[in-house]
Amino acid sequence: MTLLTLIWLPLLAAPLIYLAGRLAGRAREMALLALLAAWVPFGLLVTARGNAAASFTYGAITLQWDGLALLLTLTALGLGTTVTLYSFWQMAAEPGEEKYYAMLTALIGTMIGLGCARDLFNLWLWFEAMAVTSYLLVAFYREQPASLEAGVKYLLQSAAGSVLVLLGIALVLAETGSLDLAPLPPESSFLLRLAGGLFFIGFGVKAALVPLHTWLPDAHAQAPSGISAMLSGVVIMAGLIALLRVLTLLAGDGPIWGWLLLGFAAANITLGNLLALRQTQVKRLLAFSSLAHMGYMLLGLGVAFLLGSRAGAEGSFFHLLSHALLKGAAFLAVGAFLTIFHTFTQDHRPLLISDLAGASHRFPLVALVLSVAVLGLGGLPPLVGFMSKWQILTASFASQNGWIIALVLLAALNSVLSLAYYTPLVNTMYRHKPAAAFAQATALPISMTLPLALLALAILLLGFWPGLVQGIVNNAAGALFP
Amino acid sequence: MPFWLIILTIVLPWSGAIIVWSVGDHRPQIQHRLALLFSGLAGLCALLLIPLTSDAAAIRLPFGAAAFGDLTFIPDSLGVLLAVIATVIGSLTVLFSNGYMQGEKSLGRYYALVLLFIGSMVGLVLSGSLFFLFLFWEMTALCSYALIAFHSDNPQAVRGGMTALLITQLGGVGLLAGVLAIYAWLGSFDIPTFLAEGGSLPGPVLAAVGFTFLLAAATKSAQFPFHTWLPGAMEAPTPVSALIHAATMVNAGVYLLVRFYPALAGIPGWTTAVILIGLITALMGSLMALTTYDLKRTLAYSTISQLGVMVVAVGVGGIFASQFHLASHALFKALLFLGAGAVIHQVGTRDMRQMGGLWRTMPLVANCFVIGAAALAGVPLLNGFWSKELILETALHNGYPWVYLTLVLTAGLTAAYAVRMVWWVFVGWRTEQFQLLDPGFQVAQFKGIGEALDPVTDSPAPATVHSGSPHPSPQFPFHAPLVILALGTLLSWLIAGEMGHWLAQTLPFHNLHVLPTLELVAEITLNEATLLALMVTAAGMVIWWWRGRILWVWYWFRPLRQAARHDFGFTWLNDRIVTDVKGFAAAWQLTQTGQLNWNMAGIVMALLVILLIIFNW
Amino acid sequence: MILTLSLTVVGLILIGLYGLLAVRNLFKLIITLQILVKGAVLALVIAGETSGRLQLGQSLAVTVIVADTVVAVIALALAVQLKQQSGTVDVGRLDTLKG
Repeated sequence: MTLLTLIWLPLLAAPLIYLAGRLAGRAREMALLALLAAWVPFGLLVTARGNAAASFTYGAITLQWDGLALLLTLTALGLGTTVTLYSFWQMAAEPGEEKYYAMLTALIGTMIGLGCARDLFNLWLWFEAMAVTSYLLVAFYREQPASLEAGVKYLLQSAAGSVLVLLGIALVLAETGSLDLAPLPPESSFLLRLAGGLFFIGFGVKAALVPLHTWLPDAHAQAPSGISAMLSGVVIMAGLIALLRVLTLLAGDGPIWGWLLLGFAAANITLGNLLALRQTQVKRLLAFSSLAHMGYMLLGLGVAFLLGSRAGAEGSFFHLLSHALLKGAAFLAVGAFLTIFHTFTQDHRPLLISDLAGASHRFPLVALVLSVAVLGLGGLPPLVGFMSKWQILTASFASQNGWIIALVLLAALNSVLSLAYYTPLVNTMYRHKPAAAFAQATALPISMTLPLALLALAILLLGFWPGLVQGIVNNAAGALFP
Repeated sequence: MPFWLIILTIVLPWSGAIIVWSVGDHRPQIQHRLALLFSGLAGLCALLLIPLTSDAAAIRLPFGAAAFGDLTFIPDSLGVLLAVIATVIGSLTVLFSNGYMQGEKSLGRYYALVLLFIGSMVGLVLSGSLFFLFLFWEMTALCSYALIAFHSDNPQAVRGGMTALLITQLGGVGLLAGVLAIYAWLGSFDIPTFLAEGGSLPGPVLAAVGFTFLLAAATKSAQFPFHTWLPGAMEAPTPVSALIHAATMVNAGVYLLVRFYPALAGIPGWTTAVILIGLITALMGSLMALTTYDLKRTLAYSTISQLGVMVVAVGVGGIFASQFHLASHALFKALLFLGAGAVIHQVGTRDMRQMGGLWRTMPLVANCFVIGAAALAGVPLLNGFWSKELILETALHNGYPWVYLTLVLTAGLTAAYAVRMVWWVFVGWRTEQFQLLDPGFQVAQFKGIGEALDPVTDSPAPATVHSGSPHPSPQFPFHAPLVILALGTLLSWLIAGEMGHWLAQTLPFHNLHVLPTLELVAEITLNEATLLALMVTAAGMVIWWWRGRILWVWYWFRPLRQAARHDFGFTWLNDRIVTDVKGFAAAWQLTQTGQLNWNMAGIVMALLVILLIIFNW
Repeated sequence: MILTLSLTVVGLILIGLYGLLAVRNLFKLIITLQILVKGAVLALVIAGETSGRLQLGQSLAVTVIVADTVVAVIALALAVQLKQQSGTVDVGRLDTLKG
């Protein structure tokens, strides 16, 4: 029952938030309240030892709480609450504010549901629900053609992927007569392998595997900054987790799936960094770096699937958490600058790196958070990004396999390359002469700076003490590799 | 007791960093004092560690997951020596900064980074775990980048910082690979375990570890062919240059080689590679130092060259000699940099051609600087002399006559550029003044005075490198660090024997052979190797006075001189690589067309490819 | 019967995939997507039939139709707004976001 409360609380709150916004102009308070309330069943589930609270069955539908669901819920709820608070000031002047909060809350609910889904079709349904809410959020700025363009591209590409997933489901149903997400016998038929390929591409679109990633930079750059943080920090990760759930179905079928993950890892890491290297738009740069970070996670997961070991998956799930923190902080900090910048320019030009010149003088905290976030993304200690990358690379190297070691070196070199586009961002902010937009801007409200400070603190805390989340990460890996 | 001292030595600078930062830039005097307090206390703690050295871990704490190992610190003599150098010389640079950085903006950021840097360096050298060694290694890279690029408005500084970061991080990949290989095959991050059981690794793996560690050391210690970042790092505020060159960053590479020497020396070809890299660097660095006009660059090239000498010392098996020279170098190079900082602060330029005659206006600085330069040149009775001669003797004694001869040649060149530097800055006169008197006046006509060795016709004088505006304060307030360092340079060799004995006590794997100071002195002075080296050094110094007469030699070496002035093409190579990578990235950008049909084609093609792979597996 | 239907599915999918690559009109592209989804719906029904769980297959099909209608409605809404804002429905010209 607790589980059901956790999932449905945000979903049922969504229309209420909309109404509260429409009738009383109180959408944001309502949304924050709903999300804070959702922490209660979450806490109960984490502390509950018995299984009764942690699963729910209705007819053929089963929702089950496990380590992976916990990880996804923690990320979605944590980042979601932060983003909601952060949006208080930023979205206050936007028309359709109440839709924003309603959709954001619903998005969080769908992701929690996705984490708990225990059969293929439910997985698809939650996945589709998550997609629908995120379409609306990406295309939130209805009056901007660029935003609509990004939304349409995102929608059509995701929908194409979703059809492939459906075909895969049909094949699995035809072959096995069951949709349960339980491992299938090792000897796999032609149809099941075909289904595996379809799942890979179908979920891969949402998880932004190269070359299915083309929607991502557009959507991340055009969405409201809070949504960019959610998309990059959680939504593409939800796609990845959906993919992992169906892969456990086929994991008995030899090393092919592990190698495929590793192949995509190489493509994502390399292309993500190369495409980010020459970017001048800050949000687009961060979007491309998400591709690279997805690649690091795929590396650890590929090794885990290949060797059937948990170590790689633990590293990847730690990186999932750390990426959510780092990229969340980065997008939110950039969003703060973007709002100031747009207030100054009175148009919707994208924020260029050079526009950030001297931003640190008027906004030392935001600049510090952004610096910490991008340097952490670049994998420098003592920030959490270093620790999680290290865990992935250690686990991969321990395979003692030449190809994987080569891939580790590629990842490490790419990490160096990524510093070449992160550091100019930092240096630009610490110039002495502030750009016009930042020279006389007013101070930011605490509702905006507090989430940023919290994220930065978490980045530092986990950088010094990665053991804090090892339990969560262990359980998540254990859910995949029992 | 060592437990808390180690914790304090690392945590004091770090907490100082946070506190100085949070004091805020509107209270600069408090920031100055606090930074000095915290770095000084850290220095004190490091000094207190000297009698407490041991080869057992003083700290061992679990760190959460197997992938990180235990947080281990071992206060053995090698680590403590470098920790003392980092904190003591570090706090002297902080003391110097108190005067040098007066009136600068963003002091909080400056001191926070300096303190973070010092703390990270201490962590690096005391760490008993390979993982934390790598962690602190990366942190020093981060700090050096942020400090070199401290003047973010100056594109040169930003460029210098990024070059430093990218090159040292490239080495970081090497260290990462080595550490991961050790973990993958040995199952432990423990450094003593590796030193003891390194031989049990499969041969190719151990060789890979050896050469990746060498790559890491070469990038960090600015060795050939990765030395290009160090001259670029001269854009940093001068106390930071002293910090990087003497106290922290560049010592880390040599430290890495020394620390793992017992495990790696047996790898076929490894010592030869170390010697070759060191020799090439030593020679190249001294040649480049001889041809540059920029005072700080001269010192930077000299650091490169001296580090090369230390690396050679490790290669020929002179572990103690390399550490002795490292300590000497830390003292005299810090002295030289701080002296140069005082000069630059006074004159407002880094171009040596615009200095001259400063002996009269700043005698104390000049005297201290000359002591440092003499130690660099290897003038007898200064610390640089003893340590360099010990390296020369070790090379000869261990059967590397060719190494010895090349090092002697380097010593001669070093003496030459040391004299050249002192002459131009303190003795000669400003060539600038003549140009002011008569704009058409060709400075090149002054053969035999200041410009004969570097005829202006060779290359146009570089634009004046202004490091901020001139500060016309005749009372430069911080002579104390200079005097302390000068005394150290004069006297530190007296405890060489004790230092060696102390080092040998807690390094069970290194098998150091050390002598008491008196025997050491006797052995060095009575050795014919020393005699030849002294003669060459003297010749190098004398050449400066005869430069008018031996001009033909100079012209004969013109191509070499040109090459040296252009950094032997390595800067060009760096730029070329950067341009190519950027071009490659730009080409890939074309794949992001924005065309929906093209995006869909990506999905469909990926589907086809993946199905092909699956069914052909 | 199953074979005919299966071939129909394959046909629909192939038409849909080709359309994704070739159709440049945004509205037609959305219709292409609908063709693909119809193929998938049919596939679910066939799968239910062949595995002996026809009811499951049918209920899945109905659910998919509902879910997909929502997606189609949103897609059409965005497309209409895009046409109003930028005056074109040619996806080849909707390329302001690139690089």
